Amino acid sequence: MIDRRPQGIYPPTEEMLAEPVPAEVQERQADSLTKVWKTKTGIRYLMSVNNSEIGKWYSLTCFGFMLLAGILALLVRVQLAYPDMQFLDADRFNQFFTMHGTAMMFLFAVPLFEAMAILLLPAFLGARDMPFPRLSSFGYWSFLIGGIFVMGSVLFDVAPNSGWFMYPPLATEAPGPGSDIWLLGLSFIEVASIAAAVELIVGVLKCRPPGMRINMMPLYAWYVLVVGGMILFAFPPLIAGDLLFELERALDWPFFDATRGGDPLLWQHLFWIFGHPEVYIVFLPSIAIAAMIVPTVAQRPIVGYSWIVLSAVGTGFLSFGLWVHHMFTTGLPNISLGFFSAASEAVVIPTGIQIFVFVATLMVGRVKISLPMLWIAGALAIFTAGGLTGVMIAIAPFDWQVHDTYFIVAHLHYTLFGGMVLPVFAGIYYFHPFFMKTYLSEKAGKWAFWLIFGGFNLTFLPMHLTGLKGMPRRVYTYPGDLGWNWLNLISTVGAFIIAVGFLIFLIDLLRPGKRKLDHRNPWRAGTLEWTDTLTGEDWGVRSIPYITSRYPLWDQPKLVERMDAGRYYLPDAPEGLRETMVTSVIDARPVQVQRVTGDAWVTLWAAVFTGAAFILPTFHMYKPAIVAGAFAIVSILYWLWTSTARKPEKEMKDVGLGLSLPTYASGASAVGWWAMWITMLGDSTAFASLIFGFFFYWTARPDFPPMGADHADGWLVALTTGAILLSWALTVGARELNRRGHVNPARLCLVAGPVLAGVAIWLLTLSVLGLSPSTHTYPATVCAIVIWVVAHAGLGILMQLYCLAGSLFGKLDPDHDADLWNVTLFWHFHVLTVLVATAVIGLAPRIL
Amino acid sequence: MTDPKTQTGSRQDEFEFFEESNALWWITLAPTTWAVHFVLAYGGTAVWCAKFGETQGVTVARLSIAGLTVLALGFIGWLGWRSVRRWKPRQNDMEDLSHPEGRHEFLGHAAFLLCIISAIGVVYVAMPALFITTCR
Repeated sequence: MIDRRPQGIYPPTEEMLAEPVPAEVQERQADSLTKVWKTKTGIRYLMSVNNSEIGKWYSLTCFGFMLLAGILALLVRVQLAYPDMQFLDADRFNQFFTMHGTAMMFLFAVPLFEAMAILLLPAFLGARDMPFPRLSSFGYWSFLIGGIFVMGSVLFDVAPNSGWFMYPPLATEAPGPGSDIWLLGLSFIEVASIAAAVELIVGVLKCRPPGMRINMMPLYAWYVLVVGGMILFAFPPLIAGDLLFELERALDWPFFDATRGGDPLLWQHLFWIFGHPEVYIVFLPSIAIAAMIVPTVAQRPIVGYSWIVLSAVGTGFLSFGLWVHHMFTTGLPNISLGFFSAASEAVVIPTGIQIFVFVATLMVGRVKISLPMLWIAGALAIFTAGGLTGVMIAIAPFDWQVHDTYFIVAHLHYTLFGGMVLPVFAGIYYFHPFFMKTYLSEKAGKWAFWLIFGGFNLTFLPMHLTGLKGMPRRVYTYPGDLGWNWLNLISTVGAFIIAVGFLIFLIDLLRPGKRKLDHRNPWRAGTLEWTDTLTGEDWGVRSIPYITSRYPLWDQPKLVERMDAGRYYLPDAPEGLRETMVTSVIDARPVQVQRVTGDAWVTLWAAVFTGAAFILPTFHMYKPAIVAGAFAIVSILYWLWTSTARKPEKEMKDVGLGLSLPTYASGASAVGWWAMWITMLGDSTAFASLIFGFFFYWTARPDFPPMGADHADGWLVALTTGAILLSWALTVGARELNRRGHVNPARLCLVAGPVLAGVAIWLLTLSVLGLSPSTHTYPATVCAIVIWVVAHAGLGILMQLYCLAGSLFGKLDPDHDADLWNVTLFWHFHVLTVLVATAVIGLAPRIL
Repeated sequence: MTDPKTQTGSRQDEFEFFEESNALWWITLAPTTWAVHFVLAYGGTAVWCAKFGETQGVTVARLSIAGLTVLALGFIGWLGWRSVRRWKPRQNDMEDLSHPEGRHEFLGHAAFLLCIISAIGVVYVAMPALFITTCR
C-alpha cells in the first residue's frame, strides 16, 4: 500500500508566508496556469467545462426562460384584463398559465440556484473549480435541451395544460402529448438538478481552502449545503411520481385511476412532498445572497452567524412537514390537517430569525445604502408580507375559504418575488462586477427597482381582494357583474409596469460599453470572491490561500498580495493538469490534490443522447429511445473511463509551503466516493417514495391488495434476494481481495458477481410475469417496484463489469481502487433496496 | 497538526470524522427527532384512522402521540443539555474562530439553537392531538 498521508508542514508559519516569491518564478507559474486553464475560442468554446463559463451560460439560459415565462404571464393578464375577453381561448389560456408556472419553477427558480452556485461557490471558497466540472457541463446541457423541449411545446399548441402540478385525473386523461412533455422533459431536468446538488454538496464539504473550518464558511455555503441536502430528499419523490404517472400514461397502469384501485391523491402527496420543500429550495439560496450582501453593506461581520445556520438548517427540516397544507381541501382527517397546520406555523420561526439577523446586522453596522441593498430591502418588505398571508393560510379553516382563489395567487407571488426574484436581482447587481468585470448602471438599476417593486404591488396587492371576493384561479374569463373588473384591470396594468422594469434591466444587462471595473473589491466586501483580478483569469485564484477568518479580506491584510504572488498553495501547474485542492470536511486540513476534468465534447454528447432517451418516448418512439439510451450509456462510460480516477504520474505532489499531498484517493477520502454516497441517498429517497406509495394504497384503499389477488411468486422472490446478496458479497470480496493484492481472485469475483445479478434480474422478472398490471393498482405497484429493482441491478452489473475491465486494462490495481470502492458503495445501497423491495412484494401482501 | 508525520491525511480525516463529523451529524439530531416525531404522529394517525378509527375512535392514537411527544422532548432536552456543555457560553472574540475550540463551540451553539426550535416544533405538532378528538 502506498502511504498517501500528507507530508510536511501544516499550518504554514508566518515566516513562510512572509517569504517573497521571486518575480521570474511568479511569471512562469502564471503562464503555466494560464495555459492549462485557458478557455477555448470559436466553436470549441462550447467544450468548456470551467465553472465560470458553465455558470454564465446556465444563468443566462435561466434568465431567458424567465423572460419567456414572463411573456406568457403578460398574455394571461391581457386575457383577464376585462370580463368576457376573447384574446385567448380557454385551451390556450390553460397552456399558458401551466407553462408560466412550470417554467418559472423548473426552468428558472431551481436551476438559477444551481447556476449561481456553480458560478459563485468556487470563488467564495477560493477554489479553482467545482470538484466535477464535467458533471456541471452535463447538467447544463441537459437543462438546456430539456428546457427548450418543454418550453418549445407552447409554439406547437401542444403544451401541457393541466396546471403546473399536473393533478390526475385531469392530467392523466388529457389528450395530446402535453402531459408527457411535462413528465419526461422535467424528469430529465430534475436529474440534472440532482447532479448539481451532488456537485455543490461535495464542493462545500471538500473543496474549501485550507483553514476554512466549518464554522468559518461564508453563509452562502451553509445555505448551499442545506439546499443541496433538501434537493436530495425533495426531488426524488417527484421523480418516483413521474415514473408512476408515465407508466399510467404509456402503459395504462392505473396508479391514479380510482376505478381500478388507484388514488389520485397519491400524486398530490408525491408532488407536494417535492413541491413544498421546493419553495424553500428557491428561497434559501436567494436569501443566502442577502446574507452575503448585508455584512458588506453594514461593513461588519454578520450578527449571529450560528443563528443563520440554525435558521437554514431548521427551515430545511421543517419545510418537509408542510406539504399537506396544499391539500387541506382533499378530505383528510382534521387531525392530520392539524399536524401540517402546526408545522406550517412552526416554520415561520426559523424563517423569521434570519430576517431579524439581517436587520440586527444593519442596525449595528455603518450602513451606506447601495443599489444591491435597495433590492434586498424591497425583498424583505415583500417577503414579510407574503409570509404573513402564509401564516393566515396555514390555518386550515381560513384556507378552506380562500383555497384555489386569487388570494393564493397573491400569496405565492409575494413569497416568490420577495423570497427569490428580488434577492436574485440584488445578487446580480452585487456580483456583476465580479463575474462580468463591469458595472451595471446605478440609474437604470433604480428605475428598474421602483418599476418592478411598484408594479409588483400594483399587480398582486389587489389580488388578495380579488380572491376574497371569490375569483377562482385558472379561469380563462369571468362575467362582468361580480365586482372583479377593476381589480383585474389594475393587476394587468401592474403586470405591464413590472415588464417595463424588466426591460430596463435587460437593456442595461446586454448593452455594450458598460463602465469597466476600476477596483478589485468595489463594495469593500470581506469574502474571497473579491480577490479576483480586474480582468478575471480563467484559473480563478492564483494560489489557494490559507484562511484564518470568516471575512479574510477584512482580517488578513496581506492575503491578496500573497495570493497574487503565488505564495500560497498550488501556485503552478507544471504537469499541465487542472487541479484544485481537497480538504477535510470539518477543519479543512489539506488532504489531496484533485485533478479536475478539462474541456470536452463528451458531456455534450452524453446530454444529447440522454435527452433523446427522455424526449423520444413522448412521441411513442420507444425503439429509437432505447438506442439513444444505449448511446448515452456508452458516452458516459467513455467519459468516466478517460477522465475519472486515473492513475497519477506520481503519487505525491509538492503543493507549496513545504507541504506534499497525494494526487490520488480512494474510499471515503475521495470526492467521487462522497458523490456516490450523496447520489445514492437521493436514489434511495425515490425508492422510499415507491414504497410509500405501496403503503399509502394499503391505508387509503380497502381493496389493496384485492381479495384473492395474484402475488409475485414467493420462491422466485426469495431466490432473487439470495442471488443479489451473493452478488453484493462478491463485490465487497473483490474490493478486499484486490486491496490485499490478490488480483486474480478479485477478478473472478467480478465475473461471478454480474452473472449472479443477471440471474437475479431473470428470476425477479419471472416472479411477476403472471401479473397483469393494467387491471388493478396492486399488480401495477408490484411491477413498478420490480422495474426499479431490475434497472438498478442492471446498473450494478454495468459497474461490476466496469471495474473488471479496469482491473484487466490496468486502470484499477491494488493501489488505485477508487472505482471499486465507489461501486461497492452503490452495491451497499442496492442490497438494502432489494431487501426492502422483496420484503414488500414477497412478504407484506401475505401478512397484511 | 503538530506532528505532521503521524496525524495527517486520510487517517486524520477519519479521526476528525469520528470526533467532529459526529458534531456535524449532532446538529441535525434534534431536527431529525422532530421529523421522526412528525412522521410517526402523522403516519400513525393516518393508519389508525383508516383502519380502526371508525370503530375505536382516536383515543389510542392521541395517547400514543402524547407518549411520543414526551419521549421526543426528553431526548431533545438531553441533546440540548449536552450541546450547551459543548458550547460553553462565554464571551469570545473573532480570534477564537480559527482554533479547534472555536469550531467545537460553534457546533455546540448551533446544535443548542436547533434543539430549541425542534422542541417548539414538536410541541406544535403535538397540539392537534391535544385538541382534536375525532378521526373526521
